[in-house]
Amino acid sequence: MTGNGHMRVAAAVMAASFWTWAPAQAQEPIKLGFAGALSGPASFVGVEIKRGAEIAIDEINAKGGIGGRKLVLVSRDDEHNPVKTVAQYRELVEREKAVAIVGATNSASMLAVAPIVNDTLNVPVICPATDATAITENDAQKQGRDNYLFRVGMYGTGQANFMVDTMVKKFGHTKVGLLTWTGGWGVTGRGELQRRLRENGLAPVADETFDNNDTDMTPQIIKLKNAGAQSILNYALVRENTFVVQTKEKLRDNTPYVSAWGIAGPAFWKAAGAAGEGVLTSTTVTIDGPQPPERMTFVNEYRRRHNQDMDAAVFAIGAYDAVYLFKAAIERDGVEPQKIRAALENIPEFKGLVKHFTRPVFTRDRHNAVTEEDMVMTRWTNGKMLEVKFDAKGPHVEIDAQTKKYLDRSNMTLL
Amino acid sequence: MRPGARSRAAGTLAAARAALAGIRSTRMYFFFQVALSGVATGAIYGLIAVGYSLTFMTTKALNFALGMWVMLGGMLTYSLIVLHAFHPLTALPIVVSALFALGIVAERFSVMPFLRAGSDVWVMSTLAVGFLMIDLAEIVWGRSPTPVPPLLGKNPIYIGPAAVLPQQLLIVGAACVTFIALDLFYRRTLLGKAFRAVAHSGETSGLMGINTRRVQAVSYAAATALAGFAGFLVVPLTLAEPQLGTVLGLKAFAIAIIAGLAAPRGILVCGLAYGALEALISGYFYTGIRDILGFSLMIAALFLKPEGLFGKPLEERA
Amino acid sequence: MTERSVPWLVGPTLAALIILPIFVQGTYYRFLGIVIFIYGIVAVGLNILAGYAGQFSLGHAALMAVGAYTTALLTKALAPLPFFAATGLHIWFGLVAGTLVAAAFGALLAVPALRVRGPYLAMVTIAFGWVIFKVLQEWVSVTGGDLGLSSIPKAQLGRYLFDTGSFYYVVLGFFVATLMLQHRLVNSDFGLRIIAIKHSEIAVSAVGINVYRLKVLVFVISAAFAGFGGTLFAHQQNYVSPDNFQFFSSVFFLLAVLFGGAGTLMGPVVGAAVLTILPEILQEFDKFRLIIYGCFILLTLYFLPNGVMGLLAVRSIRAPGPEKGPTLVDATSPNKPAKIVGVGLQLNNIFKSFGGLQALRDVNLRVEPSTIHALIGPNGAGKTTLINVATGFYPLDSGEMVINGHTTTLRSMHDAARQGIVRTFQTIKLFGNMTVLEHVLVGCARHSRSGYFDAIMGRKSARDEAARNLANARELISFVGLARYENVPANSLAYGHRRLLEIARALAVRPQLLLLDEPAAGLVAEEIHTLGRIIRQLKASGITVVLVEHHMELVISISDRVTVLDYGVVIADGPPAAIQRDERVIAAYLGTPHAAA
Repeated sequence: MTGNGHMRVAAAVMAASFWTWAPAQAQEPIKLGFAGALSGPASFVGVEIKRGAEIAIDEINAKGGIGGRKLVLVSRDDEHNPVKTVAQYRELVEREKAVAIVGATNSASMLAVAPIVNDTLNVPVICPATDATAITENDAQKQGRDNYLFRVGMYGTGQANFMVDTMVKKFGHTKVGLLTWTGGWGVTGRGELQRRLRENGLAPVADETFDNNDTDMTPQIIKLKNAGAQSILNYALVRENTFVVQTKEKLRDNTPYVSAWGIAGPAFWKAAGAAGEGVLTSTTVTIDGPQPPERMTFVNEYRRRHNQDMDAAVFAIGAYDAVYLFKAAIERDGVEPQKIRAALENIPEFKGLVKHFTRPVFTRDRHNAVTEEDMVMTRWTNGKMLEVKFDAKGPHVEIDAQTKKYLDRSNMTLL
Repeated sequence: MRPGARSRAAGTLAAARAALAGIRSTRMYFFFQVALSGVATGAIYGLIAVGYSLTFMTTKALNFALGMWVMLGGMLTYSLIVLHAFHPLTALPIVVSALFALGIVAERFSVMPFLRAGSDVWVMSTLAVGFLMIDLAEIVWGRSPTPVPPLLGKNPIYIGPAAVLPQQLLIVGAACVTFIALDLFYRRTLLGKAFRAVAHSGETSGLMGINTRRVQAVSYAAATALAGFAGFLVVPLTLAEPQLGTVLGLKAFAIAIIAGLAAPRGILVCGLAYGALEALISGYFYTGIRDILGFSLMIAALFLKPEGLFGKPLEERA
Repeated sequence: MTERSVPWLVGPTLAALIILPIFVQGTYYRFLGIVIFIYGIVAVGLNILAGYAGQFSLGHAALMAVGAYTTALLTKALAPLPFFAATGLHIWFGLVAGTLVAAAFGALLAVPALRVRGPYLAMVTIAFGWVIFKVLQEWVSVTGGDLGLSSIPKAQLGRYLFDTGSFYYVVLGFFVATLMLQHRLVNSDFGLRIIAIKHSEIAVSAVGINVYRLKVLVFVISAAFAGFGGTLFAHQQNYVSPDNFQFFSSVFFLLAVLFGGAGTLMGPVVGAAVLTILPEILQEFDKFRLIIYGCFILLTLYFLPNGVMGLLAVRSIRAPGPEKGPTLVDATSPNKPAKIVGVGLQLNNIFKSFGGLQALRDVNLRVEPSTIHALIGPNGAGKTTLINVATGFYPLDSGEMVINGHTTTLRSMHDAARQGIVRTFQTIKLFGNMTVLEHVLVGCARHSRSGYFDAIMGRKSARDEAARNLANARELISFVGLARYENVPANSLAYGHRRLLEIARALAVRPQLLLLDEPAAGLVAEEIHTLGRIIRQLKASGITVVLVEHHMELVISISDRVTVLDYGVVIADGPPAAIQRDERVIAAYLGTPHAAA
């Protein structure tokens, strides 16, 4: 074959690839889209979101769907890669005709996708997992245009405020150290923590970081100790935090350790074991300790379907609530994406699993459902995340309905 | 030992202990503690790095996915010890021989066919095997990192004021023993000499009656078995997860280059030094630049002394 | 192997790519098309490096990142300025800047990495990729860290902002230009030389080409393509983060090149297209992503070692042409090399050892200009080592080399070739399936004046010189008697003809001193006669010839002088007749008779 042959084949391959898909026909069911990490190290988040959404969708379909139409979840694996997320969002909206999307697993992905969603795709997105503040406080929001990004999970500014305020105001610590991950979320977290400390008139006594490949945090822990930190604030995920608490155990260090919601799930205890005892975590919801009945139903349903407990309940629950929020919006004003968006800003009351909202879930100016007042601080106690409550005698956790255990403020041990 | 010598040795030991106990000052403690934890990590790097050398010497090819083999060893260890309650001492030979056998298979199908002169495609084929291993590991064992109990308990041992985990000491000890054993193997045993012959020239060795093919296969499998051993040792310190080996493999690789791919003796030294250096950079400067410096060092080493710090200059024949 | 024909089918394919999008709704397909074109551009760059020059790089994603971040930072900084807001020039500055910075990084990387052989380049590129990734992650104030840089300005011309639909055409244009550039590069002298490097760097060096510099140039060009692709990427996505440029992406590009067909023109395109579309089709199998990639790599390497395009492009083997003129050279043949002023060579007190082995010990050699000087001795005597030293392949431990009265130090074989010293090899080093003509054209490199840029642009001076080289090459091929095999791939030549080809290639360099290392090895009697005649012809035209040989008849019949080496020491030196009778020489070859018991 001569050179002509090359071109013939190349042309055929390219043409065939393009022509093998015809644009999809509009389907009867209402499509909800999801693109997130379903493979790779962050996949436990994506899988939880997908499962939580599926439970909600099946419940709704069992009761006849929305206006007689069934809901369907079209999901994609973006491999935690923003390039893929962007491509998949376009595909979900333009080819699959999704009318609403459940948010991705990677803050970087959501940041990449936000402008396109607001400018071109115009489809509402509710994020259960990503907490970078700029996702909802984006350009469109700042310019007063329609903002299509919403959030039911923790959001950066609020979480940092909550963490710092809890330790400074409620526990009375003035010397606070930082230990954050150099990965994306850790970077924004660090900035937010520094900001809030400044707003409280404080500066961190030490500001340490580590990256994903660190398995031994000895230098950082020693430096924090030498600086006299009364507590250490952290932004990182399960894996890195396991190494932190193991290092602390090795060095016999008891400094109170407070982490953002990266470790708010059983995966942490599975990995760290008893070394994780006493670690505090901020989150939106915990399924340990006394629980409202709706949450127990959800937990049991999850267990029935997947034969295991949730790895990261907060994301599954967030996704579940996201789907029901979409349902509420659609029932109000129909399936057109722009109408869904507007309707979301007008839900006056909502009984979600995250919390029972007695005020508007979202408003035009506030696209974060969960604010600082709604967040909870939990303590890892014998494998459970128990909410830390404050009364006249001080901070305590409820082991069960009858037993309260108070905490020693200097090392968070149970008294 | 003569009486005088014995008391002198005891005296030296006592003096060393006293010196270590004297490290009370915070600065000295910090340096010592940090360097010590780095040395333990470095021992693992060294143990993995020698695997690169083993393969390279006999086939002039590298197992680019060696880190994934470490992971496989670790995951297998997890399965045996945690899920099936094997005793660690029983698990170890199983892990090592399993990885040896798999190494023979892998070499036959993913390396040997591609050892054509002048072609570097084995780079891609060994990587492909690595990808397969990660994905299979994710499917078989799931994605969440899980802990494996350390072999000698969790209570730290104190060297002076500095704490080390028993597992870390075990790793350093195992690395030293392995290197000594390898050295003896190369110089005292017939098979070891055959290895060195093939490393020098496959053709000539073949003419001398050495089964070059078999030596190549065995050295590849020995490297993967060694990686399994490294995985067995390291997994109680890190967590068992499919992504465990990627970065470990890369760093070990840098160390092998810096020390010299054809100079296994220097690799342990370089490994320990690199580990300590990493920790000290984290401690005194800033974690983030650690890898940047390390890999830039590797590139610089390749430029200035491509045969490695401990290697002999490369000569060519026309 | 070069691909000459510009297919007439390019037109219709291009038309299809231009017209198709009009019929398709939405941005998704255009978007996908843009991604394929961008990946195609990077893959073309990598193809030139890995496919043609045979150097594997696993760091091209990092070079792409360099281009992308450079343009992102530059355009973000310039965009607010009114001048740029009005003209959109900042985008075009960004494209150029990104490409240049990536090329600079490529040079930075290649300069150390290409100093050594073997897979070291692959290793260095992996390390480089990792370093870049880490820098992008850590240098938060500049790169935005893990969260990257967003709001990168869209491509703009004047006041017009390109949207996905129109940007598609811009990128398509660049893509086509890239392919054309590749075509030009590959079919030029540059292409010939880098393909030759893939087969034998040593032989290329021996004909006077600075292999190292050429490899660096190839790498820089390859890096420029990658950087350019990165800049387009940044302006299409309007967002860059380190996640986009991980090691896996570098593997992806290399796989695209290998799968599509390394060393073919359309290979990278096919590879990029298939590997981009594949994950889109395999959406449900996300769990098995790495397994699929792994199997893909292995299957490609097993069954498609030459890639898809390599499989399809069966090179048309041209049979030897009809007899053209005299096939045997004789004194009356008009095809003789032009008159050359031969130089004399003097080696004084040469010592060379390898570790414990003393290969040359106090060797003195005096070769008179325009003579045939033979170097003989038993195997292992050091003859080839002496040639290697005399041509700059090995540095000498001590002693001096005097060429034409000037003391010289040769740093490399191409250095020697530039000074008129050329050699052939004991183990023939040819360039795979390049044709006989192409081999000799590579040899013409030494005396080519026009640069690569001129050649690609098609300047008249370059074209004239190309014509001259072609004529010159044909003369030389005729001279050695291979005229009818002009377009035959070298690896299908008979053994004796390959030797002659090496000589023709060496002659293209216009040597003043030609060292032939066992040229008669493996030849039959008639071929040895032809060889003898050729060598005498060379002497007649003035070239000094040093001949390492075992065939005594040949040595005795054509040499003016003979030097004998044994165990690295000169044991005899004189006219052939004297050497024949020298006892020490006989003893060296045949051993001494036993003393009577």
